[in-house]
Amino acid sequence: MAEIYQKEINLRDYSKENLMAFYRTMVKIRKFDENLIQLMHEGKVSGFYHSGIGSEGLSAGSIVHNLRDEDYLYYNHRGCNQKIAKGVPLSKLYGDFLGTVEGTTRGLGAGIVHSADVSRGVLGQAGTIGSQFNIAVGTAYSAKFQGTDRVTVCYFGDGAAAREPLHGSLNWAGIYELPIIYICENNEYAISCHTSEMHAVKEHIADWADGYGIPNCVVDGNDVLLMHEVAKEAIERARKGEGPTFIEAKTFRHRGHFEGDPYDYVDPEVVKEWKEKRDPIKNFKKRLLENNICSENDFSKIDEQVDHEIQKAIKTAESAPLPGRERIFEGLFA
Amino acid sequence: MRTLTMRAAILEALSEEMERDEKTVLFGEDVGKFGGINAVTKGLYEKFGNKRVFDTPIAESTIVGAALGMAITGLRPIPELQFGDFVGIAFDEIFNKLGKWRYMHGGSMEVPVTLRLPIGIAGGAGPEHSQSPQALFMHGPGLHIAIPSTPYDAKGLLKTAIRDNNAVLFFEHKVLYDLKGEVPEEEYLIPLGQADVKREGSDVTIIATALQVHTALDAAESLSKEGIEVEVVDPRTLAPLDKETILGSVRKTGRVLIVHEEPKTGGSGAELAAQISEEAIFDLQAPVRRIGGPDVPIAQSLHLEQFYRPSEQQIIDTVMELMEY
Repeated sequence: MAEIYQKEINLRDYSKENLMAFYRTMVKIRKFDENLIQLMHEGKVSGFYHSGIGSEGLSAGSIVHNLRDEDYLYYNHRGCNQKIAKGVPLSKLYGDFLGTVEGTTRGLGAGIVHSADVSRGVLGQAGTIGSQFNIAVGTAYSAKFQGTDRVTVCYFGDGAAAREPLHGSLNWAGIYELPIIYICENNEYAISCHTSEMHAVKEHIADWADGYGIPNCVVDGNDVLLMHEVAKEAIERARKGEGPTFIEAKTFRHRGHFEGDPYDYVDPEVVKEWKEKRDPIKNFKKRLLENNICSENDFSKIDEQVDHEIQKAIKTAESAPLPGRERIFEGLFA
Repeated sequence: MRTLTMRAAILEALSEEMERDEKTVLFGEDVGKFGGINAVTKGLYEKFGNKRVFDTPIAESTIVGAALGMAITGLRPIPELQFGDFVGIAFDEIFNKLGKWRYMHGGSMEVPVTLRLPIGIAGGAGPEHSQSPQALFMHGPGLHIAIPSTPYDAKGLLKTAIRDNNAVLFFEHKVLYDLKGEVPEEEYLIPLGQADVKREGSDVTIIATALQVHTALDAAESLSKEGIEVEVVDPRTLAPLDKETILGSVRKTGRVLIVHEEPKTGGSGAELAAQISEEAIFDLQAPVRRIGGPDVPIAQSLHLEQFYRPSEQQIIDTVMELMEY
């Protein structure tokens, strides 16, 4: 059975600058999200949006200071969190939602899925949930084949973990000892169905990795530093050629599956508990304040900077033109 | 000129292209030490080593998905599905991913995958190991579809497919593996989207693919003795489709018969017939006719199997009917 990852973390082992970078990324993700929801309410965004509010610590922790541009990443269905942490410009992401040529798809439009930024190793995602499991092993094989120390990080939700390709992928990763890190963002719900109803594994999703000989653990995904440490260990192992790791990170979503989801299948008290007591941003900020590492002023400065960055990004994305009909015929073949 | 079987021609193409580009990687079920269940990859494992030629678990969706991952990160994968019928298991990866990944992510990636798929009725293989599912993918934008009928075409097309920066589905008829034909020693490439007129004629155009090219050529020989000259056009690639050559032949003869082993309903002939009627209806002297397999699953029985494949006699009879208009 998967172990619960625990580690004594001394804040003094991190520089203030590095700690603030985690905070900045989490705030950027949240404010991106809140502003996108606002744009949706204004009727400017077509399609669905799967808010990542509540699980910012998971993405910021695993990616910031751990992954390089040249490392490969497949994001999940709340994947703006990971794309932002990996450095994809906000204007490009807003552009995809707004369908302007500023977007990564140059106007084809993309929601959570189909944004890509090859220069930052963000290689896309599929609308058929969980399809990244198979593609990720190819990428990891490629990195190993070419003698690089690039790692592939494959994010997915507890819902996607039910897809058959997970098992094909784990088997390949195990057999070929691939540099791949599976990060299951377990927020307990696949749309309306609870993990316990959808998985025959009764203890942890990470237990599956045991069957494939893949090191695995369960971690509190809302603790950004714990998330950072567990991912760091896995990434270092992968870089050294020691093969794959499976991390199941526990978190929860503050909003419904998609915007407009009444979210009435979850006890409001449970949501309230997560929002008040387990908010990754609030808790991290509190910790830094209590340990006299940062002041309120440090945080408000970052908040302001991020607000400014977001407004600028939205403006850039909104002021870019919508493509003409000719766009739909471009880029099918290389 | 020397003659080779189509098996040897394909193997030669694989070997030459793997020698030419060290980023090529070949994998699939039993393609390594065993050399493939159709012996098409024999010796490649020994020649290129287990990093570039490797056996995979029985996991078709992983095979195709992994090929995509390799392709977008700088490799040139050549995966094999042991039987073309297995597209069903990897359908999402082929239909929704290989052909669309580049486009739907804005066009910044390349997908140089050559997926080899053995097809066709071949000796009691049964309903899930005998099919010809190529038409399914004419409906999927972003995919090239090659379907050779001779060793010469197979080698030239496969080399092009491997060098192409897009996904190519390469369908090989199992009966054709043992067919011999002339293959030059020197290197040559056949572009995708260039049909081949396998026999010239003035009375009827037969458009046929894979094994049916040969059935059509046999029928054409017999019909010639009756004074009917059949032109046999082999599209060689269904996507891109060489409409120019096909329509040119149709305009010349005014009569068209399309022959393939796929079930008739929704087969590649349906699309060809539609395109011909859209663009050349006033050049036709008779309705476009199609011969395909019956719309039923293919039986295991060797005795019954022959009734699924278009026969020379069926072709002769249909051409005779066309000549009566």
